[in-house]
Amino acid sequence: MRPSSSAMPEAYVSYACTDDAGGEDPAATRARLRAGLSPGFSRRATVLGLLIGGVLRGAMEQCGGTTVYASAFGETRTLADFLDTFPHESPTLFQTSVHPSAVQQVMIERKLPIREYVPLAGGPCLAARALAAALLSPGDPVVFCGGEERGSWMADMGIASDRSFAFALVLRKDRDASTLARLRLEALDRDEGAQADGAPGGMAFPAWFDLLHARRSYDGPVSAEWRLGLEWM
Amino acid sequence: MAFSPVQLGAHGCLTALGDAAQTHAALLRGERALALVPVHGSAGGDPVPLALLPGRSLDETSPPSWLPGVKRLMRGCPEAPWGGARHPVFVTSSNFGVGNLYEFRRTALASHLAYGTPEACVAFVGRELGWGANVTIVSHACVSANVGLVLAARQIASGLADEALVFTFDFLSPFVAGGFHALKILNSEFPAPYQARATGSIGLGDGAAFAVLRRPGPGWIIAGQTLHNEMHHFTAFPPDGAGFMACIEPLVRLASGRRVWIKGHGTGTLESGRLEAEAFARAMPSSPLVGWKGSIGHTLGSNGLVELAVAVESLRSGRIPGTVGSAAPAFSGTVALEPIAGGSFDGVLCASNAFGGAHAALLLCHA
Repeated sequence: MRPSSSAMPEAYVSYACTDDAGGEDPAATRARLRAGLSPGFSRRATVLGLLIGGVLRGAMEQCGGTTVYASAFGETRTLADFLDTFPHESPTLFQTSVHPSAVQQVMIERKLPIREYVPLAGGPCLAARALAAALLSPGDPVVFCGGEERGSWMADMGIASDRSFAFALVLRKDRDASTLARLRLEALDRDEGAQADGAPGGMAFPAWFDLLHARRSYDGPVSAEWRLGLEWM
Repeated sequence: MAFSPVQLGAHGCLTALGDAAQTHAALLRGERALALVPVHGSAGGDPVPLALLPGRSLDETSPPSWLPGVKRLMRGCPEAPWGGARHPVFVTSSNFGVGNLYEFRRTALASHLAYGTPEACVAFVGRELGWGANVTIVSHACVSANVGLVLAARQIASGLADEALVFTFDFLSPFVAGGFHALKILNSEFPAPYQARATGSIGLGDGAAFAVLRRPGPGWIIAGQTLHNEMHHFTAFPPDGAGFMACIEPLVRLASGRRVWIKGHGTGTLESGRLEAEAFARAMPSSPLVGWKGSIGHTLGSNGLVELAVAVESLRSGRIPGTVGSAAPAFSGTVALEPIAGGSFDGVLCASNAFGGAHAALLLCHA
């Protein structure tokens, strides 16, 4: 049933950055992203923290209002490492294994506060849920970022991502000369949504990333409730 | 700051002391649910203060041992097509099924993997409770429930939802107990929130809660919610306590003209307890401050909603539990160690904190 009096949230993308690290070895990711980072941070940060730091590099100053962060699995390599420290648990691995530490690692390194930090975890419609959170936020601009790090043994068990990637968008309420794309969510009826991405779950999170990475436009369901319009200029 | 006021249409919680009414009554009696438990459960380790649901072991089972308690709690949730297009569900936690992940690593029993990620664990809960697919999973450590309430309120305010369900759950395991023990703030001492003493300590507790949010109407209204993330350090606040003020200032203005008491975060750590108590005393000098984690423990990502449910019981009954487990001297003169009469108050400000210098607060008052 289409709601009768609901807003159709939309925003304009003024910054977009993606990093498709795929199956890259964590040491290679660390070496690749080390430039411009303090030695301590590049050594301590998780793979996901490094990836998020990399894609946020050009948007750091705009994170202070509202930042929506999405990661289905979070810091699974650190989580696995922390589990392996029992019964002599590592306090550092514990605190960095806690979702949503990637953005926190980056912001704490730079001492940059965020008014509203909205971190979302897994779910078959993670991209749709995070888009709704970002587009319904009264903030302007809103930074929407996210990603995954390829897991170690947890990926082999199917409980962590099998690839590494990250993205960051800056979303604004109004179109201007910097606009790269338009994002729009529209409520749709449930039957249409049930066919999203060929499954009731909707658009998978990596598929959302692939859209951004390829700068590919899209007009179709992303969940049972939402149709996404992504139009690159 | 733009607020999205919403009606708190229904609510409930589950702690080691029982449901919201039972927890409220036990807090008024000064009961402490925390007891010393080996930090690694059956594997032993140092004794630490934990408040587990009655009969529940720290060792997680498959299926999870907390499921019956969650089902009992959610019998109090009004019937609605939860998870449908107009009835979104916001599930919040800082633990999800990480206790099962720990057990898998310890025992290699593959059945634990069915609950070992946020997505798998929430899917399991959703199936058990009959939810549809419109479920958002929020994970922001110990302010998770607060962020879920903010998102739910926005969906209501935008007209995109008729009602929203916020459900939160955090159940202890050696994973989280071991982590806080490694940070040395979970030790063999019982917590004494806001008490000036030599050693700080926290206790952890099982907890779950729900809230049904609707458009503003009669009854209880969440008039405003605020968030603030200092990003100063993972486990410490800046020494000036500025983040506490930055978070609550908009709500202090919103509460102007009301008589409000404060349910603080108050875990029992010394520095953050002092900063919090001093900030509240400065911003709202006539508002008494209480904290309940000295009894029910810190229910982690769920504490914001678990303690909100107890706060509503306090407002409804006109009796506000004091800061159980603490004694003089307190960090500020506004800390209420004993129960206080709530009849003259018409609202409560509830605050929570989390890793990364995260702050969250809300103002609950009668319409």
